[in-house]
Amino acid sequence: MAELRLVEPPRRAELRRAIRSRLVDLGLVLRTIAEDVLGADSSIDWVGLDPQGGVVLVLVADDTEDLALVARALAQRAWVAARLRDWKQLAPGLGLGPEAPVRVALLAPRFGAAAIAAARALGDPVAAIATYRCVRNGGEVEILLEPVYTETARGEPAVPTSSFRSGLCDADLSLTDEERADLG
Amino acid sequence: MARSLADVLHYFIPEVPSAEGDAFARRAAAPAVPTLALPLGDGDVVRAALVWNLAVEVSRLGHAGSIVAPALEDSASLWPDPGAGPLGTELVLTFAEDAEELATATLDVATTRSDDGASGLIWVRVPPAWIEKGAGALPFLEHVLLLTSPDPRDVRECYAMAKRCIAAGGRTIGVIVHGARSVSEASEVFSRLARTAERHLGRTLRSYGLLVDDLHVYRSIVSRRPIGLTHPHSPAAKALRDVARWIAEDISRGELG
Repeated sequence: MAELRLVEPPRRAELRRAIRSRLVDLGLVLRTIAEDVLGADSSIDWVGLDPQGGVVLVLVADDTEDLALVARALAQRAWVAARLRDWKQLAPGLGLGPEAPVRVALLAPRFGAAAIAAARALGDPVAAIATYRCVRNGGEVEILLEPVYTETARGEPAVPTSSFRSGLCDADLSLTDEERADLG
Repeated sequence: MARSLADVLHYFIPEVPSAEGDAFARRAAAPAVPTLALPLGDGDVVRAALVWNLAVEVSRLGHAGSIVAPALEDSASLWPDPGAGPLGTELVLTFAEDAEELATATLDVATTRSDDGASGLIWVRVPPAWIEKGAGALPFLEHVLLLTSPDPRDVRECYAMAKRCIAAGGRTIGVIVHGARSVSEASEVFSRLARTAERHLGRTLRSYGLLVDDLHVYRSIVSRRPIGLTHPHSPAAKALRDVARWIAEDISRGELG
């Protein structure tokens, strides 16, 4: 059997290719309409359309950029939102929805608590937050995506605080203050 | 084609006309195959990998089991290919779309195993959203196994899941702590959960010990090969064997149904 090991991410193009093929693991069904787009002073890894015609920007960060990624997502979202009307006119066949919302999916090797809190505070515009790990399997590098947060479905009310690995949100837990205090 | 037990029950027992009676008859005729429910969220690849590896280890101890899971969109990333797997561990994907259909599918698997003379354990992956408050008792939720890391969010989620399962008829709730940095950390997490459950739910949680999330767990996910077979001397495999032994002992004592 080939020896498998966690490895550093490959070069950007290879990393993008590997991640793109696994986005469906996060429940993101996207039609990519642009890749490596120069947006607000930096690159947007993908611009995708969800089945409802909404725009999803996928941003992939390096190891130490988790908090900066959240700020970058805000800037890129504003940059794209300002151009959507032009895009609709220039390319009506793209399938952009009439009031297409712009959401972001954030991927990084790890997210600190501050970055997660900041991203979740954005609420509706965040389609997914996920970590990626690179595993060398023989001659190939495979990517594992693990969701930190995923939106349950487009059009449903935003998750008020957070969702868990179970897919439930904080309100679903129905914990009393006493129980929360005892659990620490 | 999935078999509905209702189609063949009349060969064995008199027809029961009402829906309520039919459900009663089905439960009464259900074979006594140990069943363990596993509330696992969509995309929870690490815990699914731990469960699959654990099932293989329990199989190694003579209790070859079946994992029954709904064939939802995420199945491809959660589980290996369906069918017979290592050491007789079988993965059965069902088209169940709610808890009731999952209960029926579980019963079908139990009946098939019983007909084939197989013992072992049925592991049932339950989407947490299907465990609803006040939805009535779900037969496969009698014995539940929960996994939590020491992360405070995971601990809260685990406790809330225990609370839901108890409300839905859960009788015994087992907890495995994974991803802990030390035995003492895992022990502290379980103690905190157990104290809270005793105080607020009036239930005693059962500890199934500690699993180690080392590199081999991720290797297992990617390679779809059980850790216990490919890296038997790794810390992850040793921890899996310990937990598997406790589960196997519970099966032998008839404590899991």
